Amino acid sequence: MASEYLHEPKHLNLKKDSDQPLLELKSLQTHFFSDEGTARAVDGVSYKILPGETLGVVGESGSGKSVTALSIMQLVPQPPGKIVGGEILFKGQSLLGMSEDEMRKIRGNEIAMIFQEPMTALNPVFTVGDQIVETVRVHRGLDKEEARAHAISMLEKVGIPSPETRVDEYPHQLSGGMRQRVMIAIAMSCDPSLLIADEPTTALDVTIQAQILDLIRGLQEEEGMSVLLITHDLAVIAEVAHHVAVMYAGKVVEYATVFELFDSPAHPYSLGLFRSLPDLAGPNEPLATIPGMVPPATRFPSGCRFHPRCSIATDLCKTDEPILGFLNGTDGRTVACHHIDEAAKL
Amino acid sequence: MSANQTTSTAVGNLLEVRDLKKYFPIHKGILSRHVGDVKAVDGLNFDLARQETLSLVGESGCGKTTAGRTLLRLYDPTAGSAIYRPEPDSDGIDLFQLSQGEMRPYRRDLQIIFQDPYGSLNPRITVGNTIGEALTVHGVVTGSEMNDRVEQLLERVGMRAEVSNRYPHEFSGGQRQRIGIARALALNPKLIVCDEAVSALDVSIQAQVINLLKDLQDEFGLSYIFIAHDLSVVRYLSDRVAVMYLGRIVEIGTTAEIFSNAQHPYTQALLSAIPIPDPRRRASHIPLTGDVPSPINPPKGCHFAARCLVAEARCRDEYPAMRGPEGGHQAACHLI
Repeated sequence: MASEYLHEPKHLNLKKDSDQPLLELKSLQTHFFSDEGTARAVDGVSYKILPGETLGVVGESGSGKSVTALSIMQLVPQPPGKIVGGEILFKGQSLLGMSEDEMRKIRGNEIAMIFQEPMTALNPVFTVGDQIVETVRVHRGLDKEEARAHAISMLEKVGIPSPETRVDEYPHQLSGGMRQRVMIAIAMSCDPSLLIADEPTTALDVTIQAQILDLIRGLQEEEGMSVLLITHDLAVIAEVAHHVAVMYAGKVVEYATVFELFDSPAHPYSLGLFRSLPDLAGPNEPLATIPGMVPPATRFPSGCRFHPRCSIATDLCKTDEPILGFLNGTDGRTVACHHIDEAAKL
Repeated sequence: MSANQTTSTAVGNLLEVRDLKKYFPIHKGILSRHVGDVKAVDGLNFDLARQETLSLVGESGCGKTTAGRTLLRLYDPTAGSAIYRPEPDSDGIDLFQLSQGEMRPYRRDLQIIFQDPYGSLNPRITVGNTIGEALTVHGVVTGSEMNDRVEQLLERVGMRAEVSNRYPHEFSGGQRQRIGIARALALNPKLIVCDEAVSALDVSIQAQVINLLKDLQDEFGLSYIFIAHDLSVVRYLSDRVAVMYLGRIVEIGTTAEIFSNAQHPYTQALLSAIPIPDPRRRASHIPLTGDVPSPINPPKGCHFAARCLVAEARCRDEYPAMRGPEGGHQAACHLI
């Protein structure tokens, strides 16, 4: 089974459920409080990331996938946001119980994050070298020269040509793809065990996207780190993920290996996402669509949050929220749907 | 007007673009001396048939957006011609020879939809007035007739008629894009330039808008120039595809010819980079190293030569002419 992976993670053993996850979320809830009401952006999210694997989190805007990542880093702006429930376990330790000082040692050092728009994440008045040097001096206590040498070697590692000169350039002198490489160099500079990549290639051209995905995959195999990759693009998931969590309206609706999900999406929403892809439709055949749209986080429907858009919803779906349950005959695959058998016939 | 009429023999095409150039001048110093040009679009040739969808694809900076905007005279062209034929038997009119005033009656026929439905709708004007404004400006309808027409348009793009009194911020991205489409449709256009029109939308909403664009094309006989970077959407929607690199078309052909039988090494590399939504078929990317050359001083040879895996000496000396049948599958490469 595991041999199917073209890019097999070193420590991943899909058969063993006893593997201690590197990161585990248990019913995480992050809400935003405003005059218009409470936005339940993340509302009971559970997933885990195994050591050395890539977990792809896929969902549309408003599904809560990015707020979940910010919650892991505890970077949710507060107020208006607040983590109101659940647990985040990293290497078995609860992150939510930590002080800001303890958290600062985790952030950047153990868990690093890269974002969609590298230009806004980089500081325009410092050279790229300064920004890497700052990171490693804060977290690693290297002296100036060691830090600079480290910065150059990191730039080289992420495939930036002539790193000795690039190290003294400013972000505006670099192309979008190069900036994202610099972001990755900063993120990797303290050798984190988890890299969170939030839509890292969405703003990039398809040719550059391919390079960045290759880079992330290569670094992961070399370093054995785990990657949490957040994207709206199922094709990107197919390229890099080992496990996938599909999110909808603040919840995970399906968790499976990438093969299980792409072979037979089990949740009606997952299925709807696949059928909307233009890649799979024949010419002159209208694209399948999911009617309606993602509900705003202040007004999630009762019961199953997908029921107003679901073709097989029943009265039960309107009132009772389905839990994320194990799918029979699988090893750890979970789906939150009352009507899995009917969904399989869709 | 006679200067604007042509004797071109090709009849039937909605639009024939020849040698379209758009340079943006660079000025320097206190005297604002003209020191050079950014050659954003540097000699495009293509035809657009009635009811046809032609996609312009390429990486950022290849000039595809500038080309679309210049065609509609949102930018003044530097050179070239765009022969527009409202009806198959009408005389061709060179859009680039018209003054802004002379251009005005043709603007009804030539519309554009933008990527960002947030930025392209005025936040202080109701949806009804946004759509109706074009109708009154062009004197098409007035008063209560206008309201009827606006409601009809909103319903056609899948929105309830009551929303015409609401403001853009009350709508989601997909709904705003539908409003943008309704506005473009208001004047019964013949051509709509879709500039990354579905790029900002989520996949399930994107599918709804793509279906809408296709239905409208059949219903109203529209032609589209579809500018996009998402090649799977392009493959689904287009009749023909033009691949641009540094301001020029390097390959043009039917969608099947481009996606199944790409001739130009750049097209091949671009297509190989598309991620495939199948974990068992991870794409084998043709690596593209190096940077796109500067559009200020493009190299004299093939613009792609420095990044091309098969380039030879003459590729660096001589810009390759388009090869292939006129109006058919053509590519600009010495090595095919």
